[in-house]
Amino acid sequence: MQSRKLRIGIVTTYPPGAGSLNEYAFHFVHALEQKQEVAEISLFVDQLPPGQQYDLHQSGLHPTNGAPDVATVTAAANGWKTPLRFVPCWRFNSSLNSWHILRAVQQCKPDVVLFNIQFASFGDRKIPAALGLMTPALLRLFGVPTVALLHNIMETVDLKSAGFNYNPLIERLIRLIGWIVTSIVLRANLVAVTIPKYVEILEKRYGARNVLLAPHGSFASESTPPSFDLPDGPLQIMTFGKFGTYKRVETLVEAFHLLQTKHDAALELVIAGTDSPNAPNYLENIAKQYANVPNVRYTGYVREADVPHIFGEAAAVVFPYSSTTGSSGVLHQAGEYGKAVVLPRIGDLAELISEEGYTGEFFEPNNAQSLADAIGYIIDDPERRVEMGRQNYLAAQGLPLLEVVDWYLLHIESLLKK
Amino acid sequence: MEAQSRHINAVQVVEFQGRLDAHQGKQVDQKLSEVRNSSNQTVVNLSKVHFIDSTGLSVLVKGVKHQREQNGDLVLCELQQPVRIIFELTRLDRMFQIYSTEHEAIQAFQ
Repeated sequence: MQSRKLRIGIVTTYPPGAGSLNEYAFHFVHALEQKQEVAEISLFVDQLPPGQQYDLHQSGLHPTNGAPDVATVTAAANGWKTPLRFVPCWRFNSSLNSWHILRAVQQCKPDVVLFNIQFASFGDRKIPAALGLMTPALLRLFGVPTVALLHNIMETVDLKSAGFNYNPLIERLIRLIGWIVTSIVLRANLVAVTIPKYVEILEKRYGARNVLLAPHGSFASESTPPSFDLPDGPLQIMTFGKFGTYKRVETLVEAFHLLQTKHDAALELVIAGTDSPNAPNYLENIAKQYANVPNVRYTGYVREADVPHIFGEAAAVVFPYSSTTGSSGVLHQAGEYGKAVVLPRIGDLAELISEEGYTGEFFEPNNAQSLADAIGYIIDDPERRVEMGRQNYLAAQGLPLLEVVDWYLLHIESLLKK
Repeated sequence: MEAQSRHINAVQVVEFQGRLDAHQGKQVDQKLSEVRNSSNQTVVNLSKVHFIDSTGLSVLVKGVKHQREQNGDLVLCELQQPVRIIFELTRLDRMFQIYSTEHEAIQAFQ
């Protein structure tokens, strides 16, 4: 029998908001709105800094009723099938986010609310971060079915690298708070994670019975294979993300400096993206610190429309991570654009590489020479670069988000039947 | 990937053999699509499938969605232990009707 159409709410960041997981949200929503069983999507997003607004026209969308903080958008103009509503209702580091989100959800009355979150989604200060993560449980308490897509779990995060650690005692305290907060997140009706190990940890340590594995999914749609040719001009070595916590570029800039001294070919290092919300002014300080290293370009925020250009021109995509906090969206993007990648030998990334069919050159974290060597292997050998790019492209084609959202819809329909 | 299908009353039974993964996804999808054209009641026998990945699962999810939209269903039977574990890990075991034997799966449609 045909199910009724769903009104879905999503608590998330979203472009042009610069909060973590905004790119994933964009692609997830774009996949979801193409599904015939979805009637409406309400995005409970964070409030943007003064002067910015959710760009309703970015994709050709037009607001139909124009309250400044609650805008309903019809999607007909650009071929999107499902009405989309932005509801900016929470703020990074506010302790009142749970309350504000609850109120907004009660006004919009979606059938179900999904959370696109990680442990620092709601703040880099411990109390707001922890209080925000209680929102799925709070909504459920008020009768709203909730599904939390949790991109990382405390147990696998290197707190020091992620910018949260001060000393071992505080780390233990944070772990304890993390255990409590995770237990509360698990009060959602369903909790989805993207790595099998996370399911095992949540079931064993927390006794959870509502956790499921859902693939991260690739952002690729039915795309034609990318060109593996590079533009004229310097070979671009690119890194993409939000920097300053566990994604730091010091070693990369130093490695690039080493590379430039040894290579005749013109090279350019492209640092694409912004500061992590947890590390304001990080890139500005890096630019000052390494002002003596030539041919480094800082792009700042990369608009969605410019992402293909940034990836397309790169000879190699580098992941200067000292730890990981979940399955990497950037790796999937690099695969989508057929890029060779350079990765650190650490936790989740290595696992993802082997489990999902990607390939890359590996380097020792925080070792500039090792990183320079790894990049060198790629840029010195165009055939190898193309072959790696081709394999990563095939891996990225594995399971598009368009199919992953079917899993969520199936779980949601089952949840709503109960 | 080998696939055999047969009609039992109004039910289409499809039996796959080998790995149900990214490399076989298109073939499996095509086979299920053919079967869907002749019946909205499908039994997928997985007794000879020893490996399934997210792409394989996704093809089955697509199949069950389609059949339910047509007021039918796609049910599974005779899952091997490694395959059953993947269904449990993804909680898709709760989304599909899963039977121990093909006979039980066919009977479910009667």
